[in-house]
Amino acid sequence: MAYDLDVARMKALSPSPLGAPSASGSPAPEPSRPVIKLDHLSKSFGTFQALQDINLSVLQGDVLAIIGPSGSGKSTLLRCINWLEPANSGRITVGDLSLDCSKPVGKEQITTLRRQLGMVFQSFNLFPHMTVLRNVSLAQERTLGRSRREADEVSMGLLERVGLADKAHQYPVRCSGGQQQRIAIARALALDPKVMLFDEPTSALDPELGLEVLAVMRELASSGMTMIVVTHEMGFAENVSEHTMIMADGQILEYGPSREVIRNPQTERARRFLRAVNDR
Amino acid sequence: MTWGHLVHIAYGIPLTLALTGGAFFVGAVLGFPIMLLRESSFMPLKVAMIAIIAFIRALPPILWVFLLYFGIGTGLINLSPFVAAVAAFGIIAAVNMAEIYRGGMVSISAGQWEAAHALNLSRLSIWRDVMAPQMVRVALPPSATYVIGLMKDSAIASTIGVAELAYRGKQVSQMSFEGLLPFTVVGACYIALSLPVAWLSRTAERKLRAKVAR
Ligand SMILES: Nc1ncnc2c1ncn2[C@@H]1O[C@H](COP(=O)(O)OP(=O)(O)OP(=O)(O)O)[C@@H](O)[C@H]1O
Ligand SMILES: [Mg+2]
Repeated sequence: MAYDLDVARMKALSPSPLGAPSASGSPAPEPSRPVIKLDHLSKSFGTFQALQDINLSVLQGDVLAIIGPSGSGKSTLLRCINWLEPANSGRITVGDLSLDCSKPVGKEQITTLRRQLGMVFQSFNLFPHMTVLRNVSLAQERTLGRSRREADEVSMGLLERVGLADKAHQYPVRCSGGQQQRIAIARALALDPKVMLFDEPTSALDPELGLEVLAVMRELASSGMTMIVVTHEMGFAENVSEHTMIMADGQILEYGPSREVIRNPQTERARRFLRAVNDR
Repeated sequence: MTWGHLVHIAYGIPLTLALTGGAFFVGAVLGFPIMLLRESSFMPLKVAMIAIIAFIRALPPILWVFLLYFGIGTGLINLSPFVAAVAAFGIIAAVNMAEIYRGGMVSISAGQWEAAHALNLSRLSIWRDVMAPQMVRVALPPSATYVIGLMKDSAIASTIGVAELAYRGKQVSQMSFEGLLPFTVVGACYIALSLPVAWLSRTAERKLRAKVAR
């Protein structure tokens, strides 16, 4: 874990935001390479253009925060990345898999894509008719072929990690929103994703409950997990994520190291948005 | 009215149960694919299914019984009154169960599907592990209500000579020259049969609810 932290720090110091590892410096044991890369990604709903020519790459172990006004396409972007919403054109590369969105894509490829991605939703979306433990174990058994015992063992470890081992045999409705979201994080982690996608994970929560979720996400980030986080939590964006991207009208308005983007936005539109956020 | 008459009516109970059970079974099984077709994203198919469902529901049950017994049952293939009645009520039950299943399905939030897909669950697993158990919970009370209604409707089968409760009640009233008593007995039988269904459904619902309710 300490080693992962070092990698993260090295990356934070690296001058180029868009992926090229710094020229000098000792050879890192795990070279920083993009885990996720989007090229010219576009998505429209009928005539409405929800995403326009999105280009983006996220390095191994990097945390990217996506902020922006409502309707700017943040959720659509995440949903396109794991094919919950098929994009119309462009290319999605995750790990060794590269998909051309303008061509028909087979089921196995979508499966391969999703296998590398964990997703956490604003509304948790736990399965209400299963115990917490079953929620975390089910997909391990169904998609990774783990036995019930193996799966439950992994699940208990993860529930421990998010501080909810004592809730394992409860049903989700007996848990607070913050607890449910931490369970949802454990459920996604149980499938060993390369990248975790979060869509406003704390927006449905009271501030205090949001904090316990943010703490789990912080721990996850420091353990070296690559994360893309759509959020309104400026503190998280500024202090935890290496990079921040501001979206508006389906486009990338600003992108760069978090502190620079948040403290010193270049465009008037971004300044207006950040002012509105800070005034709240 | 004699003991013999009473026993004669009581012999209608198994037939009423078989009619109801048979028709409900046909409906519960066929209702699921009908619901899936009705929810198809292929528009022509969806529209056709909506029309067919509306058509089947629009005709009174007695007409379906006649259609199957006198129409198909005498012309094309030979159907006994019992089979014709089960088929007729089965068809009606299928479209009604399809609507009940649909109610169960739309009650499941889109987020459940998204989470299931994001977790890479297969189609089979999504239905079996995630959707079906939640649908059953929602569909159980209306299904129980429907079974009880179906049992009452099954009296219509007496018109084509199925010797179920109502048919036998009429026979006894003609034999004993009494009107009120035989039909009171028949009525009591229907009530006695529907009570356990209502009780079972209520108990099952409470059990299932207890686990997931706050
Ligand atoms: N399935 C859909 N059909 C039609 N339009 C859609 C669909 N999903 C999203 N949109 C539209 O696309 C735009 C972007 O939506 P999206 O949900 O990605 O915004 P967002 O940035 O996540 O906003 P919020 O902060 O409110 O969550 C919106 O104008 C929305 O109305
Ligand atoms: Mg959104």
